[in-house]
Amino acid sequence: MDDVEKAILISFEESGAIDSALKSQAVSFCQQIKETPTVCRICIEKLCFCNIVQVQFWCLQTLHEVIRVKYAMLSLEEKDFIRKSVFSMCCFDLIDDKNNNAVRILEGGPAFIKNKLAQLFVTLVYFEYPLIWSSVFVDFLPHLRKGAVVIDMFCRILNALDDELISLDYPRTPEEMGVAGRVKDAIRQQCIAQIVNVWYEIVSMYRNSDLDLCSNVLESMRRYISWIDIGLIVNDAFIPLLFQMILVGGGSEQLQGAATGCVLAVVSKRMDHQSKLAILQNLQINRVFGLVTGDIDSELVSKVAALITGYAAENCEVDTTFSIVQFLSCYVATMKSLSPLREKQLHHVGRMLEVICAQIRYDPIYRDNLDMLDKIGREEEDTMVEYRKDLFVLLQRNVEEVEASLSLLYALGESLSDEAIKTGSGLLSELVPTLVSTRFQCHSNRLVALVYLDTITRYIKFVQEHTEYVPMVLTAFLDERGIHHPNFHVRRRASYLFMRVVKLLKAKLVPFIESILQSLQDTVARFTSLNHTSNDFSGSEDGSHIFEAIGLLIGMEDIPPEKQSDYLSSLLTPLCHQVETLLINANALSPEESPVKIANIQQVIMAINALSKGFSERLVTASRPAIGVMFKKTLDVLLQILVVFPKIEPLRNKVTSFIHRMVDTLGASVFPFLPKALGQLLAESEPKEMVGFLVLLNQLICKFSTSVHDIVEEVFPAIAGRIFSLIPTEPFPSGHGTNSEEIRELQELQKTCYTFFHVITTHDLSSVFLSPKSRDYLDKMMQLLLQSACHHEDILVRKACVQIFIRLIKDWCTRPDVEAKVPGFRSFIIDGFATNCCFYSALDKSFEFHDANTLILFGEIVLAQKVMYEKFGDGFLHFVTNCFTTAHCPQDVAAQYCQKLKGNDMKVLRSFYQSLIENLRLRQQQNGNLVFR
Amino acid sequence: MALPNQQTVDYPSFKLVIVGDGGTGKTTFVKRHLTGEFEKKYEPTIGVEVHPLDFFTNCGKIRFYCWDTAGQEKFGGLRDGYYIHGNCAIIMFDVTARLTYKNVPTWHRDLCRVCENIPIVLCGNKVDVKNRQVKAKQVTFHRKKNLQYYEISAKSNYNFEKPFLYLARKLAGDPNLHFVETPALAPPEVPIDLVAQAQHEAELAAAASQPLPDDDDDAFE
Repeated sequence: MDDVEKAILISFEESGAIDSALKSQAVSFCQQIKETPTVCRICIEKLCFCNIVQVQFWCLQTLHEVIRVKYAMLSLEEKDFIRKSVFSMCCFDLIDDKNNNAVRILEGGPAFIKNKLAQLFVTLVYFEYPLIWSSVFVDFLPHLRKGAVVIDMFCRILNALDDELISLDYPRTPEEMGVAGRVKDAIRQQCIAQIVNVWYEIVSMYRNSDLDLCSNVLESMRRYISWIDIGLIVNDAFIPLLFQMILVGGGSEQLQGAATGCVLAVVSKRMDHQSKLAILQNLQINRVFGLVTGDIDSELVSKVAALITGYAAENCEVDTTFSIVQFLSCYVATMKSLSPLREKQLHHVGRMLEVICAQIRYDPIYRDNLDMLDKIGREEEDTMVEYRKDLFVLLQRNVEEVEASLSLLYALGESLSDEAIKTGSGLLSELVPTLVSTRFQCHSNRLVALVYLDTITRYIKFVQEHTEYVPMVLTAFLDERGIHHPNFHVRRRASYLFMRVVKLLKAKLVPFIESILQSLQDTVARFTSLNHTSNDFSGSEDGSHIFEAIGLLIGMEDIPPEKQSDYLSSLLTPLCHQVETLLINANALSPEESPVKIANIQQVIMAINALSKGFSERLVTASRPAIGVMFKKTLDVLLQILVVFPKIEPLRNKVTSFIHRMVDTLGASVFPFLPKALGQLLAESEPKEMVGFLVLLNQLICKFSTSVHDIVEEVFPAIAGRIFSLIPTEPFPSGHGTNSEEIRELQELQKTCYTFFHVITTHDLSSVFLSPKSRDYLDKMMQLLLQSACHHEDILVRKACVQIFIRLIKDWCTRPDVEAKVPGFRSFIIDGFATNCCFYSALDKSFEFHDANTLILFGEIVLAQKVMYEKFGDGFLHFVTNCFTTAHCPQDVAAQYCQKLKGNDMKVLRSFYQSLIENLRLRQQQNGNLVFR
Repeated sequence: MALPNQQTVDYPSFKLVIVGDGGTGKTTFVKRHLTGEFEKKYEPTIGVEVHPLDFFTNCGKIRFYCWDTAGQEKFGGLRDGYYIHGNCAIIMFDVTARLTYKNVPTWHRDLCRVCENIPIVLCGNKVDVKNRQVKAKQVTFHRKKNLQYYEISAKSNYNFEKPFLYLARKLAGDPNLHFVETPALAPPEVPIDLVAQAQHEAELAAAASQPLPDDDDDAFE
């Protein structure tokens, strides 16, 4: 070991075992050598003969430094010597082949020496390629025949070239960028085809014998794919080889991973979209999906996952849909076989969906353009439609693809304006006709059939404007794609959607009614035919949508009266006949038969009900009274159900809703039926049924007001009697165990009852309360209303009660100096209502002025006082003054309030009263001497 | 791997190389361990300083010889020569100085040239400083190169052990290895805002589920 070697070794020593003086001496000696003019020769000589790694490393580092810093100052001869020496070292040649002690540093040397040598080599390339040393790569290639050692070194050189010069992952100076461009151009022009060829040969040759070497070659290759001619890689030779490596890999995950990395580099390459698309489509990436099913934590799986994600992202980038759908369906199919999905797989699926979602959305920057539909907006919209159309054009063999495509087309509809759909902007005018005329082999698939129908419905406005497509739409709904689909769920949905389509298109459907009814005959027969078995009536397919659709069609006034009667009677007659038959045999029904029959009747009522929706009151009562007669007959039949089955709740509900319908359809001509109907419904009604009954009465009152006076007056006593026997006079108990179904039903009844009273009073029917038979209940009713007006927990109920009182005061107290129609009412109002509700309930701190509903209630309370002043005059003012004084309200304030009551400004009155109440509350808080009732 | 020129102890020891731009806090970090003392004043490291740091694991005592290298080239000494026979490494950058993060790839490359396939931890130091320039979500380099990343604050001892624990587990091949004794650390110089830091960690976790940006520079424009 000479001094240089010793000095180098000592300078590397950091164990603390070396005397510091000696150490600094060694360090400065090394420094001196670096500064001698012959340093390069010294280093190369050491590299030829010394096998101490520290010395080798120091020499390589020093050479690198000299070239990097002093290249321009080196003589040509010296450069030539360095170049040749470095090249020989890299090619496993001996620099000085005459000396027997010569060493090859590639031989058995550690990786870091080879890497350092590669770095040095690349530094020469930096300065000399292609101008000075143009043949560097071409010269190197033949040496690769020497085998793995040189191939390995070649890979290290290529890696170093990438790391030190080309890769964009590192910060570079502009000068370095310039050199990198020059080097890349030269390689592309001069020798890249040869290099790729060599890669291919090496991998083909060593794939069974040296997997590590193959991996290294592929790892280097991966770095170059981004900037070399892609055709060199994407061809019939290399791609199959790469996939073979990925899928088999000869048992080496590293090799599989390296090949995966290469394909990802291909997929990620920036290039012309058209060519890129072609490449992506040809890759058949789905071949690798199977690999993801393995051990999810392995490095290979994460590489494959990266490839798949990269593939999906790139696909979106080049605006294609073709491969996305193909890709997705394959991926999903793979994932489906793998349930449950691991977290990472879910993550990847999620990521891909995000990418795709992002892609099928418009860019928000075009929002305004799209709104205004200017040139850019139109273009953008067309592009998007085109893009999504690609998805649609795909409709082929695969159920999942079709479903996905249709779903996307469906989703597209959401983003389009009504106007765009109507006019068929962009490619919609081609898409929709294609859609409605398409039959897929996979149409029997529930999901496909469902989304297909939903999609047609979404675009139905286009058909509305383009009636030539009406027949196609009808066929789509009426044949085995819709209402005649083998799947029950599809049939049911189809019925509903068909009804909606009919609602929208009915005016255009007149010429088709005959054929529509023809198509629906079998469906309808299931309800109208007496002999049908009830297996279909699982309660879910009630047929009501079909009947509603038919009703909408045959209820139109465009249909000649005779035809209309024929159509309707052909449906109503058998339906009614069914009910009648069942009713006649009701007593003979066995307990087993009974539920089936009852379900049967329910279906029939619902069908009739739905059918009637298409007939307007005007048509039934004015222009086509014959139709009205048919419905009246029907009503008569159905009311008979209540007589025969008075206690069957579902039937009662169904009949009640039919009466609701007939009130709407028949108008006042329904009156003759009401006494019987109401009588039946009221009999033996439980709280729940009572609610339904009151709702019906409310409908009648709201629709006919005073016209139903007699009817309401007739039933009111019975209702009041029933209500007061059911509703407790005390507030409902609260707390644990009180939330029973029974109590809830009573609360519901109570609430409906307030509405009932409210509806009566606000429709000029308060005289109903005063009829001789009702009088008995008046006191109870007033107490209940007062109690609720003051204390009900629901502020809206309180408000309703106050409004009822206001109305009653107006109705029953005509003039200040005349005793009211109802003896004792005035004093009840003043002593009870005015005192407790208008004053003390508002004074209570639970009366929350911050609550909006309470404020409205307060407004009503103020209005009530105004009305009382108007009706009771000075008597009321006198009462107010007394009342306020009792509550320690200053007399002047009370006087002011009376002034305001006399005035006409409700707003002033209201705010004055509010501040009065608030002040009183404050005083009460301070003094604690206010006595509350 | 045997360290040819290092004093040996009778328990496992590893050469840990710490690299990163000058002033990122490599020396401060190493000296938080009781064997070291915190220097308030910044003095650039010349060449290298080796600190033996002992840790007590459930599998016994281990030693990291921490090679605290010079971040500034003019004080370089042997530079990448110091990496030879490194068993593991820490790349340090300063979250308050963008450039120090930009240079991380270069440090990584130089390290890997000499030490192929060693476990490496990326550390974003000085997270106690309020005015960060490198946000947690902008740190993506470790994901490209499969490194572990930790946010640390040498001055407040925040996450001091994490890099060592990660490296110890990797070197021992035992993911369950843990420290049984807290190393004696110098008392924190500054308090760390744990709430703010929790926020950064959350951002980091959220960022991990985002695709890698094409170019890290974009994140800083």
